[in-house]
Amino acid sequence: MSVLDILLKYYPAFLNGLEVTLQLSSIIWGLGLFLGTLLAVAGTKFKYWIGIPSRCFSFLLSGIPILVFLFWLHYPAQSMLNLVINPFYTAALTLTIVNIFAVADIVRSALIDFPQQYLTAAKVTGLTKKQTIFKIQLPLILRTTLPALLMLQVVMLHTTLFASLISVEEIFRVAQRINAQIYRPVEIYTALGLFFLAVSLPINGFALWLRAHFTRDISET
Amino acid sequence: MLKATNIHKSFGNKDVLLGLDVSVKEGEITCLIGPSGTGKTTLLRALGGLDMPDQGTLDIDGTLYTFSPTHKDTIPDPWPHITVVFQSLFLWPHLTLRENILLPARNRWDDFKAMETELDGLIASFEMAHFIDQYPNEASLGQRQRVAIARAIMVKPKYILMDEITSSLDIEQVYKILTRLEELKGRGIGILLITHQIGFAKRAADHIVFMDKGETTESGNASILTEPKTKRLKEFLSMVKMAH
Repeated sequence: MSVLDILLKYYPAFLNGLEVTLQLSSIIWGLGLFLGTLLAVAGTKFKYWIGIPSRCFSFLLSGIPILVFLFWLHYPAQSMLNLVINPFYTAALTLTIVNIFAVADIVRSALIDFPQQYLTAAKVTGLTKKQTIFKIQLPLILRTTLPALLMLQVVMLHTTLFASLISVEEIFRVAQRINAQIYRPVEIYTALGLFFLAVSLPINGFALWLRAHFTRDISET
Repeated sequence: MLKATNIHKSFGNKDVLLGLDVSVKEGEITCLIGPSGTGKTTLLRALGGLDMPDQGTLDIDGTLYTFSPTHKDTIPDPWPHITVVFQSLFLWPHLTLRENILLPARNRWDDFKAMETELDGLIASFEMAHFIDQYPNEASLGQRQRVAIARAIMVKPKYILMDEITSSLDIEQVYKILTRLEELKGRGIGILLITHQIGFAKRAADHIVFMDKGETTESGNASILTEPKTKRLKEFLSMVKMAH
């Protein structure tokens, strides 16, 4: 049985798994990028109330393996709170939290390291606040952060595999189930690898293209 | 007139300006000369409304702003009525050199056709045609310097404060800048110029201020460079002569 045969025979199951993976990824990407950016901006503006606590939490989170965090939210936290939550939502919540803080770290660094001389130039040439934000700050910050943010989203897509370990019916769990039935690990996991390559490589490629086309030497400008 | 009187400025325990006086008249060029680290750029930033002095008064076109340890007047944003060309140029790296000039200029011109004509004149006079559509990182330092000056001119300021703008230009370009400064003077623009090029100061300046250790040591017209009165300016000029 070739990879193609397996895909043709089990495509309804693979499609269901793919749908769950993409739903999970969309939640993680959308909320992570939006709330992470918001957290970074708020953290730079309200340093003591938001900035420092969020950095402390981010530091703490960076020391906990994602799998441990996921299992902790799935088993002990729910048992302590006497709750039973659908594992899909637990996985979405866990990975979104991780993404929010990772995005916030990238955006925060770009905001803090933003070269002040460009703002001074905007001031002395009489640009309005709106022009300074939309024509100077935002384009420059996007250029700095976009490649890293895209790469991060690819990593987050890969971490959705962990959701299979708390019984979320995403594509990896589907692949495991099919393998348990027919035991064709080479073909099945090759098919899975191809799926991830098909989704990840264009994003990675786009990130590299952005880096190559929009990163400029700003050391002497 | 732009006038600073008895300006004091410290950074932590370091006193940089110690009661300095300088004025920039409309249609005149004032050159600020002096050794490195003597507070020239700090003074320029104070005059440009970027860093408020700790003490002293600033007179901007007849409106007086007072600064003391207990009271600091708030200056309404003076830009681009007063604009600054920095030694480190500060061109926006994501915009072409043309866009660097046009983005702020569009706020100041109602007639865009006239703006384009003015820019074309500057492009021709500063010989910028062959690089104006490049990005800053693709241009040489001398080319970027010309663009930074053009950007300042295009926002139609009343005063331009320039910090070492000719440091990377060849003699021909310096001459062209000089011609352009004369033209700006003719339009009634007041210019403050920090320079280490004594010859340039001699040619360009209506008024020269020699600064040393945060104070005005000597000031006057270009003759102070040929017949200095103070010992410190004499020393400085002889050192400049030796270096050249």
